[in-house]
Amino acid sequence: MAIAEQRIRREFREVIRSEEVERCRIKVELVNDKFNELKGEIAGPPETPYEGGKFQLEIKIPETYPFNPPKVRFVTRIWHPNISSVTGAICLDILKDQWAAAMTLRTVLLSLQALLAAAEPDDPQDAVVARQYKERQDVFQKTATHWTNVYAGGPNHADDLEDKVRQLTNMGFEEDQARVALSSHNWDTAQATDFLLS
Amino acid sequence: MASYFDDHGVNELSENLTSDELPLVMARILLRFGFADDIWLTTMGSDGLGPYPTAKKVIEELPTQIITKEEAEKKNTCSVCLGHLEEDNEVKTLLCKHQFHTKCILPWLEKVNTCPVCREEFATDDPAYEEFRKYKARKKQRDFELDNLHNSMFG
Ligand SMILES: [Zn+2]
Ligand SMILES: [Zn+2]
Repeated sequence: MAIAEQRIRREFREVIRSEEVERCRIKVELVNDKFNELKGEIAGPPETPYEGGKFQLEIKIPETYPFNPPKVRFVTRIWHPNISSVTGAICLDILKDQWAAAMTLRTVLLSLQALLAAAEPDDPQDAVVARQYKERQDVFQKTATHWTNVYAGGPNHADDLEDKVRQLTNMGFEEDQARVALSSHNWDTAQATDFLLS
Repeated sequence: MASYFDDHGVNELSENLTSDELPLVMARILLRFGFADDIWLTTMGSDGLGPYPTAKKVIEELPTQIITKEEAEKKNTCSVCLGHLEEDNEVKTLLCKHQFHTKCILPWLEKVNTCPVCREEFATDDPAYEEFRKYKARKKQRDFELDNLHNSMFG
């Protein structure tokens, strides 16, 4: 048996037995019986805009695992400086050059949870989000909370933001695109419309 | 070009560089002018590990042993495969004292120069990277001395 598969089998047992799973903070599921693709889920950390949300992850295990890191991407859309609001790609050092063979799925999921609690705007994946995070922290918090509500099942509904999205969908724009445009332009409807038309 | 480097005190440059020497010279220039940290980060490669394997000599000289019956009873784990170090398994011990199956640690050290558990750095065979390691060590020493100096004045 290849080392990658053997490792994932052992890790899978480790994660599903862990305390974090018991408390519903992280979750992993197999996608196939080849152990090279998994579905992950992390709960948004308390006292962050992501609180109450459940974020799905796509986890692909390379054949060279654990000598190379797993490829991880957010499937659930999220507004965060280190995660692409469009593709879900993640900028996190341990998934790149700081990976170490002793790390596991459990440490990866916990690190991602920690990233949600402490963004690193100086090493962004999404430059637009990072700029808002640095320059308009209030708008960032509100936007991230709204995205958590819409995409991750978070509890905080924002009627004012929903109204703005509806204004644009009534003009014929697609909902997700409208939300991205508004979020990227600090919820200025005129600027977002210009952007969508350009 | 020569005068520019003379002005800046870079005099190790010879006129006839071979392509092998070029990265080393670049590294020296970058270190001299303090760009090293930035440049190094951008050359590390975006989706992989640092491109520097552990030096062949370091790998060859790692203490190697066969796990005995008594040692196997400790049920120590190899952090690469997550399996136990079982009786008759061949293991290698890194300079940081972390132990792994030989078959598990060799592919890792052939890729990178750090311990998978504690990230202790080992020597590489890459002259430019070795320059950078020396620079980092000097910088660390300097920062340490500065801290000490500061503490002795204000401590
Ligand atoms: Zn092993
Ligand atoms: Zn170590």
